[in-house]
Amino acid sequence: MVNHDCTCKDNPLVPQLCKVIKITQETPDVQTYRVQTLDGKRPFTPMPGQLGMFSLLGVGEAMFSVTAYGEDWIETSIKKTGMLTDAFHEMAEGQQIGVRGPYGNHFPVDPCKGKDLLFIGGGIGLAPVRSFIRYAFAHRADYGKIDILYGSRSPADLVFKEDLFDNWPKEPDTAVHVTVDRGDETWEGNVGMVPGYLEELAFQPVNRKVILCGPPIMIKFTLQSLLKMGFSKEDCITTLEMRMKCGIGKCGRCNIGSKFVCLDGPVFTMAELDELPDEM
Amino acid sequence: MQLKRENLIPALRLLAAQGEILVPTAVDEKVSKFAPWDGSSAPDLALVNTTLPPKDTLFPHQEGMYRYKTAGEPSLEEIVEAPARILFGVRPCDARSIDCMDKVFLGDKYEDAFYARRRANVTVIAHTCAQTGPTCFCDSMGLSPAEAPSADLLLSDTETGWLVTAQTEKGEAVAALWKDLTAEGGEAAPAPACTLKTNMSDALAGTLVSRFEDPIWDEVCHACLGCGTCTYLCPTCYCFDINHEDHGGEGTQFRCWDSCMFSDYTRMAGGHNPRPSKKERLRNRYLHKLAYFKERYGQILCVGCGRCVGHCPSHLDITAFIDKAAERFGEGK
Ligand code: SF4
Ligand code: SF4
Ligand code: FES
Repeated sequence: MVNHDCTCKDNPLVPQLCKVIKITQETPDVQTYRVQTLDGKRPFTPMPGQLGMFSLLGVGEAMFSVTAYGEDWIETSIKKTGMLTDAFHEMAEGQQIGVRGPYGNHFPVDPCKGKDLLFIGGGIGLAPVRSFIRYAFAHRADYGKIDILYGSRSPADLVFKEDLFDNWPKEPDTAVHVTVDRGDETWEGNVGMVPGYLEELAFQPVNRKVILCGPPIMIKFTLQSLLKMGFSKEDCITTLEMRMKCGIGKCGRCNIGSKFVCLDGPVFTMAELDELPDEM
Repeated sequence: MQLKRENLIPALRLLAAQGEILVPTAVDEKVSKFAPWDGSSAPDLALVNTTLPPKDTLFPHQEGMYRYKTAGEPSLEEIVEAPARILFGVRPCDARSIDCMDKVFLGDKYEDAFYARRRANVTVIAHTCAQTGPTCFCDSMGLSPAEAPSADLLLSDTETGWLVTAQTEKGEAVAALWKDLTAEGGEAAPAPACTLKTNMSDALAGTLVSRFEDPIWDEVCHACLGCGTCTYLCPTCYCFDINHEDHGGEGTQFRCWDSCMFSDYTRMAGGHNPRPSKKERLRNRYLHKLAYFKERYGQILCVGCGRCVGHCPSHLDITAFIDKAAERFGEGK
């Protein structure tokens, strides 16, 4: 399903000039950018899990998950991984950037209705998950109990701390479970990897959908734990990352078999991933 | 309707008023391509096949997308370019390749505006093959050297000229333009047989995907140099990269042909590469041509033009691969 409320009416490959209105330093190497059109509007209305192409004119462009949106803004979080992302981190508020999108499919918000939701994020992987968490809170009556399990390497690497510790725990029928691989002198929460903590929390695989995003190695072991706990691959939903250029299934870059991650993904169930050639 | 040989130049002259005519042209002894007609000489319609396919008419090797300014007040301006052009003398394989590109760029959820604008202003006049080249195998890929159903107009060789068959509205406009130059009669020569034969079948397309881990990919990839000649010359290869030329404060965003045979094609920012060696890359190219594209768009992405077969510096041959796979997996015709 493609959301056609896009930034550019007739040319999906030409970005719209927008401005960065707020920069949040999440961790030493992750920043969140709040972005708005030059005339103060929301650039587009994404569905949870959809992607946006963000460009620094003259430097380059790359695809990132749109982690949140409000009345007149969208947000994306970018981790420093190379030249382009370094340049994003050098931006100041007020900077103009190019934005195009939204691209790709989205989390199955309708099939998840009436179910309990277990959101699992590792590191920057909380960014895509957050878009569905916010959607679920905005449509609270449609979903059952909500659990959010988040893990990062250390307390300093936790992203979206305000959401994790202030906003989300206040939501009705919601529990937030945070763990770090290594604690420090001030950390009082759980210490341990996500899969172990997950098994300790012993969620029942009944009428519950799992949304999990994070580094491939964490996904691998977390999925093993989920299967051990009795969850089916159909009920485990994740997002894929691939190098992308166009975002609209034309440039050929992001294929896995006959699927394009930019168009048919980035959201897949673990069962769907099993159907694709092993080339990720 | 028949266009007599002596009426070819007058017919081209009439067409020239409608747009730029691109005809098969020998650039030198080794290279031929579709180039602007010189306005007076008869094009070499015996060339099978031009070294370069006509794809750059619709999908230029490098194409500006927008101009931008970052200094002062930033700005961004889309580049719109869609010259009226007539591709004249396109072979059935290349006509079909345009049909493949249409499937990608004009449909599948999004229309590519750059391609769509050019496409709307291009008329394709195809020419059947009276004789085939040394690496032609279109008739093994479900095509015929005597048909080009997706072309606007088809010229079929007769003893004294060409039969003119309009196949679309654009083609009818051309036929109408040539009304006074054409006459009844003429009989099309029978279709020649392709020089190369290969054992491609629908069943094999399906089987190949399920043999993703077969040692066959290892066996066929060794000689590949990763030079990208095969994809560059292929009329149906449409992958592109997006980049920019920056001149301090202003520049142009453009797209240009890319190749899935290059190692950094899929390499991600963190260094991970889902197709790290030539085995994965060649496997992807063959599977894209023979299976993935069919799954997605309903037809095979190899039109049997033979260019990659004739020009690979390491003599990799897609027909040899197909035959080997058909034999190993027992899916021959
Ligand atoms: S032309 Fe031949 S050597 Fe070059 S990339 Fe293609 S298959 Fe490999
Ligand atoms: S794969 Fe080779 S033979 Fe097939 S269309 Fe492309 S260049 Fe021609
Ligand atoms: S990014 Fe171009 S096809 Fe997916």
